[in-house]
Amino acid sequence: MSNAILVMGGGFAGITAAIEAAELGHDVYIVEKSPWLGGRVAQLNKYFPKFCPPSCGLEIQFQRIRKNPRVKFFTLAEVVGLSGYKGDYTAKIRLMPRRTAHHNVDFTLLASALTGETDNEFDFGLSKRKALYKSMPFAFPDRYALDAQSLSKSDTALVAEAKFVEPAEEPREVVLNAGVVVVATGWKPYDVTRLTNLGAGAVENCISNMQLERLASPFGPTQGKIVRPSDNRAPTNIAFVQCAGSRDQNHLNYCSYICCMATFKQCLYLLEQNPNVRITVYYIDLRAPGRYVNMLEKVRAQPNVSFIKGKVADVVQAEGDRVTLVAEDAVRGEKLILTYDLAVLATGMQPSLAAGKPALPLSLDEDGFVAGGEESGIFAAGCARMPLDVTRTARSGTAAALKAVQTVKGR
Amino acid sequence: MVQYTLKPDMNFVQDLQEAGGNNLKRCFQCATCSVACPLAPTNAPYPRKEMVWASWGLKDRLMRDADLWLCHNCGNCSDLCPRGARPADMMAAARDMIYKDLTTFSVVGKWMSKASGLPWLFLVPAVIWFVIWAIRAVCKGSWFPRAADGRIVFGEIFYGDYTIDPIFIITFFGACFILYRGARKLWEMFKPEGELLVVGKQKFWICYLVSVLMDEVVTHRKFDDCEDGPVTGKVVPNRKFGHAALVYSFTILAFVTAVVALGHWGGKIIPTIEIQTPMPLTFPIKILANIGALLLLCGLGALTWRRLSLSRSNHASGFYDWYLLGILWLVAATGILSQYFRLADALQPAFVLYYFHLVFVWMLFAYLPWSKLGHFVYRTAALVYVRMYGRS
Repeated sequence: MSNAILVMGGGFAGITAAIEAAELGHDVYIVEKSPWLGGRVAQLNKYFPKFCPPSCGLEIQFQRIRKNPRVKFFTLAEVVGLSGYKGDYTAKIRLMPRRTAHHNVDFTLLASALTGETDNEFDFGLSKRKALYKSMPFAFPDRYALDAQSLSKSDTALVAEAKFVEPAEEPREVVLNAGVVVVATGWKPYDVTRLTNLGAGAVENCISNMQLERLASPFGPTQGKIVRPSDNRAPTNIAFVQCAGSRDQNHLNYCSYICCMATFKQCLYLLEQNPNVRITVYYIDLRAPGRYVNMLEKVRAQPNVSFIKGKVADVVQAEGDRVTLVAEDAVRGEKLILTYDLAVLATGMQPSLAAGKPALPLSLDEDGFVAGGEESGIFAAGCARMPLDVTRTARSGTAAALKAVQTVKGR
Repeated sequence: MVQYTLKPDMNFVQDLQEAGGNNLKRCFQCATCSVACPLAPTNAPYPRKEMVWASWGLKDRLMRDADLWLCHNCGNCSDLCPRGARPADMMAAARDMIYKDLTTFSVVGKWMSKASGLPWLFLVPAVIWFVIWAIRAVCKGSWFPRAADGRIVFGEIFYGDYTIDPIFIITFFGACFILYRGARKLWEMFKPEGELLVVGKQKFWICYLVSVLMDEVVTHRKFDDCEDGPVTGKVVPNRKFGHAALVYSFTILAFVTAVVALGHWGGKIIPTIEIQTPMPLTFPIKILANIGALLLLCGLGALTWRRLSLSRSNHASGFYDWYLLGILWLVAATGILSQYFRLADALQPAFVLYYFHLVFVWMLFAYLPWSKLGHFVYRTAALVYVRMYGRS
């Protein structure tokens, strides 16, 4: 029997659930797959509702974790087995090696001396990173990670001589005891390579909305300057393709709730950088839930942003690495074939669990969202349960914490 | 602003759903289909607008829409449709409803619209040909008579001059007349309300018909154009080969029939051009006929295989589709088998199969205006209309 709470996922939902439960006096374990906490929010330039940079909201949460000895977290970790029952779960956690020392070491010099490079997944392939890396300046824990596979031959020699690096560190497994589990495994952007008619990710300067977030981020591949990936030139004519793979039974059969808002936000990024930029948003329906309608009105009032009702169903490469979109303006009944400097696919959120069910007693719906499981003390929070914005994610984290606490207390 | 009051015809929506457009209400007007269609023009593309007409029960708009016939049913729209509304099937269902209601003898249209009408469709020619068989059997004193030289000659029972020819001539010209009436009616329906003012020189409609035939029918160009849409990521086999083989085989067989008819009836006036049936296998016309039959089988095989391999979830096949393929198979099979049994000297099977052959051939021709095969007249009419006046 245990009063501890296991939280799978160290994104906004997981962190919130963990802190809320810990502040009520429970021991909490966060198990995060990547080397740092913060999840998808850390990848954004700004987030709703107040357009804060992620460092802002996350920093408060990280402070709360630092100050609370009841929160313990594992990074580069995954729950590989869960047995037991409500009130007494035993979780097997696999810890992948970080290969760097346990304290904060500034590896800037060593990292820049390395030659081996690999695609930076944090920037969705828009940049390269070294084998020794830290994806964001506000990283928590503030430690580098060493990805031994990306080391070049000369790198291996350099790293072998370096202090505070352990290239030979092996994976380990630990076993934790917890009363309940909070599943906050979050989401991933829908895989654009599956959108065959939208270029399948092979069309130059046709990027996803998350890639645009990275381009707009001051810590991103272009230090916040929104440019075309092919030639680093600022685009003047941009199109947003809404519902790229969403509300589509061939892809994600649901509305991801936030992509319309993300597009409005990104329209403002673009206008902020160049007021003369021309933007066209192709949509089926514009969804601005609740108070977000103000945001819709704000963007709609911009003279340089136009909206066309009609889903883009064909994306092809045009001359000069431009992008041609084909859509029917359903209001006027005209097929439009227009070419843009940059096209942004507003892809939806797919639950991380959809990729392949982990070896855990979780019940998922057909889209991969967690459905049910509360009777056995497993509570879902954040986008593992449904597509949400950050505000609602935080709320769902708190809600899961409350349920978790009540469950272990009520025993 | 002009205000319209839409008058939805809910029965029509239901009929359309039953005819194969059963998913049409799933459409949320995203307009993917209009882009998916490589044939849809930039101005007022289809089938998005047809989907909303169908959904709202605007029967009049849909039935008089020439675009219905510009669609060649490649199914790209259904493959890319995010809701599984299957616009291609709705368009096909709307065409089926035109076959059903366009021309007189609506009872045939009704029989032709459902499998339950099949017995009636079969019974009409079955009775006609059986009565003829019975009368001739009484005359000849046998149901399965041999010719004087011992050969099997179908003319002994189904004597050309008095039985086959008159019935088929009436059937053929009757069907032609009904098709003509249908095409005229469709043509009038295509015309927009009010006066149609044509600016500039207008050629005679035959010129446009010739250009449609040369540009589209002979080349089967549209089937290739159908392949030019967005990448759907789904493999749907091209129909060009199968359809072209069928069209060419029909042309050959029509030519052969015309030559034989001319040789037979003309031979009564000018004896030098007389053609005797059955023709020997080495006779050029017979060789051409057998080439036509072979082409028919190839085309039928290809189209049937294609239809069977279509993904059921995206492309439904309705009664109209299966009736046409079925009747063609039956015509081809009974024709070839009756010839085989005749040459193999199997008396009873030869006559029985020939009887069924006559029944199925009659069904093919007599019901043509109400069957999917009618598209070769109606679609051609629409293509000619669009070349002549453009789309309204």
